[in-house]
Amino acid sequence: MRFLIVDDSSTMRRIIINTLTKLGYETFLEAGNGREGLDRLGSGQVDLIITDWNMPEMNGIEFVRNLRSTPQGKSVPVLMVTTNAANADVAEALKAGVNNYVVKPFTADTLKEKINAVALHA
Amino acid sequence: MTLATASVVDVLVGATTDVFETMIFRQLKAGEIFWGHATRPKSQIVGTVGFAGSSTGLVAFHASLPAARDFTSAMLGIEVDEEGLPDAVGEITNMIAGAFRTRMAAFQDAWAISVPTVTVGSDFYIKPISTGDRVIVAFHMDTHELFVELIITPNADAAV
Repeated sequence: MRFLIVDDSSTMRRIIINTLTKLGYETFLEAGNGREGLDRLGSGQVDLIITDWNMPEMNGIEFVRNLRSTPQGKSVPVLMVTTNAANADVAEALKAGVNNYVVKPFTADTLKEKINAVALHA
Repeated sequence: MTLATASVVDVLVGATTDVFETMIFRQLKAGEIFWGHATRPKSQIVGTVGFAGSSTGLVAFHASLPAARDFTSAMLGIEVDEEGLPDAVGEITNMIAGAFRTRMAAFQDAWAISVPTVTVGSDFYIKPISTGDRVIVAFHMDTHELFVELIITPNADAAV
C-alpha cells in the first residue's frame, strides 16, 4: 500500500511514517501542504492519503475538496489526522470528503484501526 | 469574569500529560501552579498557539534545549540536532493546545486556533496586551522541568 502523508510539520510526518513502518507498511510520499499534496498525486499511484487540517498555503479541507474534483483523487481513501476534534470539525471534514478521522494525540492501534476501516470501504 | 479556574487548569494538565504519554512515551508529573502575571519561567525554546472564539488567548509550552532534545529524540526515535527542535516543539504545542481546545469545547463553543509559532532564545517572556487571566503549570519529566502557560480572556461579545 502506497501512502501520501500531507502535513506541514516534518516532525508529524516522521511520527506518522514511524508508526506506519511499525505497522508493516513501506512506501510513503510526503507533502508539506495541500497544494504540494495535489502535485504529488501526479507522480504515481496513491492508495491512501493521510492529511493534517491546519496547514499554510492550502489547508487539509481545501486539499480534500480539490482532490475530490480530480479524476485520480475522486475515490482515494483519505484519513484526516488533526487536533481539530470538536463535533463541528468532524462534520466539516466528512462533508469535504474525508473518509475517517484520527485525533492527535493518537496511538499506533488507533491509526491501524482507522486505516483498516477506510481501506475496507475503498 | 475569571476563566483560569482550577478546573480549567485540570483540563490543561490532562491535555499536556496525555500528549506526552501517547506521543512521547514519557510520564509527566504536574508540579507547582503559578497564578498571575509575575512568574517568568526560565526556558530556551517556547512554542505558542493562539486561540479565538468565545474566549481568546494562547497556550505556550516552555522547555530548555536539553529537555527539548530529550523529548524530541524520544518522540521520533532518532537523535535530533538543534535545527530540528523548533518544528518538534511547535508540533507538541499544537497537540497540547488542540487537546485543550477539544476538551474545553465541552463547556463552550469550539475556538479557532492558530498554527504554532516557536521562539528560541533566553531572557524573554510573553507579555499579553489584553488583561486576561494567566496561569503557569510546572511539569517534571525525569530531571527536566517544563512549563505550560495559559493566557485566557473572555470575549465580551460571545456567550460563555
